[in-house]
Amino acid sequence: MTRRAFAALLALAGQAVAAEVAAPARLRGVDPTALGYTYAVGTFVPEYAPPAVGSYTLPVIQTVGDHPLLDADGRPATLFALKRGEVAVVAFIYTTCVEVAGCPLGNAVLKRIDAALAAEPSLARRAQLITVSFDPERDTPARMAEVRALYHPSASWRFVTTRGEAELRPLLDDFGQPVAKLRFADGRWSGLFRHVLKVFLLDRENRVRNVYSVGFLGPELVLNDVRTLLREADASPPPGAGCLASPTTAVSAPPPAGARGPSPRRR
Amino acid sequence: MSPYMPKITGQEDYVYVWTLGVDVVGDGSDKLVTVAANPKAPNYGKVVSSVSVGGRHEAHHGDFTDDRRFFWAGGLDDSVLYVFEVAADPAHPKLVRTIDSFVRDTGGVVGPHTFFALPGRMLVSALSNERDQGGRTAMVTYNNDGKFVETVWMPDKAEYGYDVRVQPRLNRMLTSSFTGRQNYMRDFGALVADPEAMKHFGSTMVVWDFHARKAVQTLEVPGAPLEIRWALQPRHNYAFTTTALTSKIWLVAQQDDGSFRAAPVADIGDPKKTPLPVDISLSADDRFLFVDTFMDGTCRVYDVSDPRKPRVVHQQRIGSQVNMVSETWDGERVYFTSSLLANWDKKGKDNEQFLKAYGWDGKRLSPLFQVDFLAAGLGRPHIMRFGQERFYKNQIFEGS
Repeated sequence: MTRRAFAALLALAGQAVAAEVAAPARLRGVDPTALGYTYAVGTFVPEYAPPAVGSYTLPVIQTVGDHPLLDADGRPATLFALKRGEVAVVAFIYTTCVEVAGCPLGNAVLKRIDAALAAEPSLARRAQLITVSFDPERDTPARMAEVRALYHPSASWRFVTTRGEAELRPLLDDFGQPVAKLRFADGRWSGLFRHVLKVFLLDRENRVRNVYSVGFLGPELVLNDVRTLLREADASPPPGAGCLASPTTAVSAPPPAGARGPSPRRR
Repeated sequence: MSPYMPKITGQEDYVYVWTLGVDVVGDGSDKLVTVAANPKAPNYGKVVSSVSVGGRHEAHHGDFTDDRRFFWAGGLDDSVLYVFEVAADPAHPKLVRTIDSFVRDTGGVVGPHTFFALPGRMLVSALSNERDQGGRTAMVTYNNDGKFVETVWMPDKAEYGYDVRVQPRLNRMLTSSFTGRQNYMRDFGALVADPEAMKHFGSTMVVWDFHARKAVQTLEVPGAPLEIRWALQPRHNYAFTTTALTSKIWLVAQQDDGSFRAAPVADIGDPKKTPLPVDISLSADDRFLFVDTFMDGTCRVYDVSDPRKPRVVHQQRIGSQVNMVSETWDGERVYFTSSLLANWDKKGKDNEQFLKAYGWDGKRLSPLFQVDFLAAGLGRPHIMRFGQERFYKNQIFEGS
């Protein structure tokens, strides 16, 4: 975390209204480098051209269920309702995070994806962006509406939260997105969460097909993955039309006897 | 360490040691041993806990998941995976899952070696295959719930496997190459006396498009390139490896055109004496490379500030044999263990089995503590990983 970002954190955290009062001012005594969450050094942004659409496949990592949410207007919603059976990019954030490789990076990348989708309406109709807060105490629907206004989505980008821990915890567990309040030694909450940035790519069947973090969270790569999934969906028969091999977990064949050629990578 | 893993900052409290069981030593089983490593602890340098998995499986490598809550470890002999929960009680890891379907899940992959955390998943490299127990092998992915995701076989003419490390910001993955089960489970003396068997070691590294999981380059690196360490700092687009049989440090560096080139950049000891380089550890600032050589039980510390010209700045004999080396993220402590493979370790009085901790001041290694794993009834210590109470209590590091 840079010192500039660190100062911004203090300002932002101070604005939030919290059920559990945070003590961000005490962070002034903390070495900012100690607040970096992972072993990634530097900004760790992608420095490569992503592989071409359809030149690879994305294996099924896991399947997620539906979960109750609250949209930025305070209306009840669910994950599946927002997703509308389409491909979705789901990011978990908290709005006062300023970890350089954390939520602000996730928001910035989704902003660029949103802009790209808006420029390609045929793609935008088939892809949803969903930003979910894991800080329901401070990230109320009203707060999410403020953030939505800040990012001013052009395509289908929803900002949602939950009613509280009872709804949030099963959602995070289902996705495998651990978060924890970082506390001082006396137990006082710093206002920060320990979390590793994860952005999830869901296919139309609500299966996780990729999990992005630093190094792989780039708009071009995510868009290529979205297009790859849509190409795969277009090549598949409609539901009930047959039993072709699904893109679920797959095993490449063991090495053929006497032959040393690489086995195909089927997923 | 995977760059995706949450880091611990400051003094570690525990060293977790994945340990091979030894007949008539303690319960004889493979086990995860936890050793207290904080000098402020009353039990500093002592074994805190030990959790046996039952039986001997050629315990070898392991690592944490991307949330650092679970430690995955494997057995090279029967390809069983073990998942220990560390977060709930860091002093007393608990075995929570055993995956005994690895060979079946993966379509015949044998010998799980490196465990590398990816977001939501564990990438596992392997050494062998079920069909001929030779060196042709694959990489495997499981999700964090222990469900199999996929198998990717090594490419033609680069079929051996060993380590796997990903540099996400370059979308490049490197793999190295060792030998198959029919060799690594064999008695070391008999193996080296068998010229035909000695032909079956890898001499390649593969550069992969990580996202597509496609091999893009095969690099010739003769002599069994083993451990891989990517440089960590921004713009340091290179990695190091060492070759076990030819005793050299190799630099694998990205070129201006984006491709990679492998070149030997230093001898390790006297290659004619086959000191057998094993584990390496690169400091977080990319300055020091610690290189263990098994046969002479020595650690050589190279200054690799200029990665093309490593130079030895310190050398120390750790024991009669030494294998694994792990430096802490703050660069102040270095830990060593002694065991290579059950059938390759030295015999008789040279079969010392230890965990040794040293301080490192940038110039020399200074002994801190050691644990005799045979006297303690534990076995042959292999890979080490660090744990910390403060991390699992979600406390901020406010300085020591």
